[in-house]
Amino acid sequence: MVLWAAFTIAFILLQALPGDALLIKFQNPDLGLSPRQIADIRAAYGADQAMWVQYVHAVGRALTGQFGYSVVSGVPVTEELAANFVPTLALTGFGFLTAVLVAIGITSLSLLTPFSGLRSLACSLPALFISIPTFWLGIEMIQVFSFHFRLVPVIGAEGWKGLILPVLTLAIPISAPLSQVLVRSIDDVQTQPFVAVARAKGASRFWVLSRHVLRNALPPTLTIAGVLFGELLGGAVITETVFGLNGIGRLIQEAVNNQDAAVLQAIVVISAVGFVIINMVVDLLYPLLDPRLLNHAGAAR
Amino acid sequence: MVRVTLLGLALATAASFSGEAAVQSAPQAAVTGGTLVYLEAQPHTNLYPPAGGFYPNGGIINQLADRLTYQNPKTLKIEPWIAESWTVNPAETEYTFKIRKGVSFSDGTPLDAAAVAKNYDTYGSGNTALRQPPSEVINNYLRSEVIDSHTVKFVFSKPSPGFLQGTSVIGSALVSPGTLAHNFDELGKATAIIGSGPFVATSEVLGKQLVFTARKDYDWGPPGFAHHGRAYIDAIKLIVAPEDSVRIGALLAGQADIIRQVQAYDEKQVRDQGYVIYAPPTRGVNNSVVFRPDNPLVADIRVRQALLHATDTQEIVQTLYSPNYPRATSILASTAAGYVNLSAKLTFDIAKANALLDSAGWKIGADGLRQKDGKELTLSIYPSLPQPQNRAMLELISQQWAKVGVRLNVMTGDAGSHMVDDLDPLKTPVAPAMVGRADPDVLKSEFYPLNRDSLRQKGGGSTKIQSFVDDKLNALLVAIASEPDENKRLSLVGQVQNYVIDQAYAIPTFEEPQAFAAAPYLKQIEFEAVGRPSFYNTWIAKH
Repeated sequence: MVLWAAFTIAFILLQALPGDALLIKFQNPDLGLSPRQIADIRAAYGADQAMWVQYVHAVGRALTGQFGYSVVSGVPVTEELAANFVPTLALTGFGFLTAVLVAIGITSLSLLTPFSGLRSLACSLPALFISIPTFWLGIEMIQVFSFHFRLVPVIGAEGWKGLILPVLTLAIPISAPLSQVLVRSIDDVQTQPFVAVARAKGASRFWVLSRHVLRNALPPTLTIAGVLFGELLGGAVITETVFGLNGIGRLIQEAVNNQDAAVLQAIVVISAVGFVIINMVVDLLYPLLDPRLLNHAGAAR
Repeated sequence: MVRVTLLGLALATAASFSGEAAVQSAPQAAVTGGTLVYLEAQPHTNLYPPAGGFYPNGGIINQLADRLTYQNPKTLKIEPWIAESWTVNPAETEYTFKIRKGVSFSDGTPLDAAAVAKNYDTYGSGNTALRQPPSEVINNYLRSEVIDSHTVKFVFSKPSPGFLQGTSVIGSALVSPGTLAHNFDELGKATAIIGSGPFVATSEVLGKQLVFTARKDYDWGPPGFAHHGRAYIDAIKLIVAPEDSVRIGALLAGQADIIRQVQAYDEKQVRDQGYVIYAPPTRGVNNSVVFRPDNPLVADIRVRQALLHATDTQEIVQTLYSPNYPRATSILASTAAGYVNLSAKLTFDIAKANALLDSAGWKIGADGLRQKDGKELTLSIYPSLPQPQNRAMLELISQQWAKVGVRLNVMTGDAGSHMVDDLDPLKTPVAPAMVGRADPDVLKSEFYPLNRDSLRQKGGGSTKIQSFVDDKLNALLVAIASEPDENKRLSLVGQVQNYVIDQAYAIPTFEEPQAFAAAPYLKQIEFEAVGRPSFYNTWIAKH
């Protein structure tokens, strides 16, 4: 149902836009086609048919798992997706992981460090990170680490070497909201009475933080993380462009620019599936972290 | 000998080359071997050869496929290549080509008369069943006749003097009949394009990277070349790097050997470090702003002339570009056949512009803008993405026109709105234009209503036109495309240039080069007649 709605809305929106992929592709001066030649091509694509006929065809193709061809690049949509999906998963997966590590690092620095100067520095880091434009950060990373110090190549880099700089570029700005939410909810939890009880019982500061506070403070962070991860998948577009990486973000941008309907329809369906799955995973993780939810479910049985 | 592309820290310091930019004048023997790393600004799109006008596509097809003839970029003469020789009947309606023997496509299919006929039937007439559009450069095509296994004849409905040059362009690249049996929608992978060229596309990561390998048995380059046999380099690694600063930085840091699309403001930085800028000309219709006279605001010739004289092309070239972007002195590039210098008619003259607008009844209003019958003289234009710094140029023109009281809005919009608005002169009374092709037919391509129709005439590509049509211009354009006598043809080319400027249909601004930057150790980088690179003769010197 959700998928059908996403598919249909995407179809209607694409039709509502001025022009279409065929116009953009074949009216383009690079081909220099005459008006009659363009009309012939449109007829060959069936673009002169009524809109509902085109819709029925599109649904039929989607149901049989045929995503069709990209008009712009002249390759099957499935190959476009394959070429872009894995790099995006790698970039966003590692980017997200790094962001979580950075966020935890900042948070523990701000909570555990005995030096107040360092603590206030750690507290101001998120504000700094969130205001760095990704575009600038990426270019600086490349200029400094790749071109000046020549530590890692940007061009033709294979495997993990090619991922270091893009992953950092992506991770730093999103580590900021994560650590902000984490610090805030830890502060909230620390004022709760049971924390004082635990401390009074003689538990160490670290023990209280890791066993009691963190477990209670994580769920709100996890919710934010789930939302952020979904956004990341599409939002990596700037990083992808700066580093010349393949990715769904760049694919979407190209497809939207050219109104490449077949590609966009496929991405809409896949994104809908992805969001459903990620939200499900987050919901399933809650009880593992927060025993109250688990007990509650048990009690209701 | 093989270039190391993954530079580690230690290697990078060892490979520091800053001191060895000195020019070596003694001729060196070409070296065979090595991999060339070539950075492109944009990924290629569909590689159906007639779509080779898009520069990223042309740069790929040029390595993969040969053509019937070779246009010498220095003389612009047509020389033999896959065709050993050819004859043309006096009316220029029949062309017969003798095909070189022993040429094969990389899939093993022989390149013979039948294969050539298949290619030209497709490019000449299109193949609607496979959604393959016809080629822009082949006009009046009727049919092919295979006379024997290595002789093929093409027949045209009208005299077609531009056809011979048309056989030399990338859009007429010869591909295996098997490639043309695919649907148009399947020709977007370079590995699917099987040509007879010096390189073969061996692997591709869509949108990111393409590896070409030299064909060891290649031995059919243009006979005019000093170099025969296989290409010198073993492989080309083409990588897409959309960000300007990344391409330049990678070149200067030794991560790449040659890059395409260098902005004029980056040229100095490249040269200062001992690297080389190549700016081959595109030899066609210059970068211009064209008018759509169907819009009443620019229907009056005096308004168009005024805007022509209000445009300071000297300032445009000096502020935004470099000496590699010469100021336009006609609608055709000065390197094109039949070019006439019209700089006397293209003067920057504010007083004249103001006088013309006054006489056309456009009076300066209270807000400094010209008005007539309560309407303001406000025009809109969409920038062209492929043209270098086109938005900046249009914004500068907008400032220049403001000085005579005319407002030019430089629009932003998605590709769909752009294409739809572009067909309607009421929405886009002015538009950027430019075509690269080294044959006088390029004028017809640009202005004829059944081709690009850049002035938007009635009976052309747009249904939104009320009345504008210029029969005199159209007759001249048709005559260029069908005049068999070369001298008469060039004189027609001169007439069209004069006519377009006299009518002020177009304001030519500068001659567009294709700007590349390359490492100094890269030798004999060559460019075909409109500036796409050819790496067949290129070799990598010790460095």
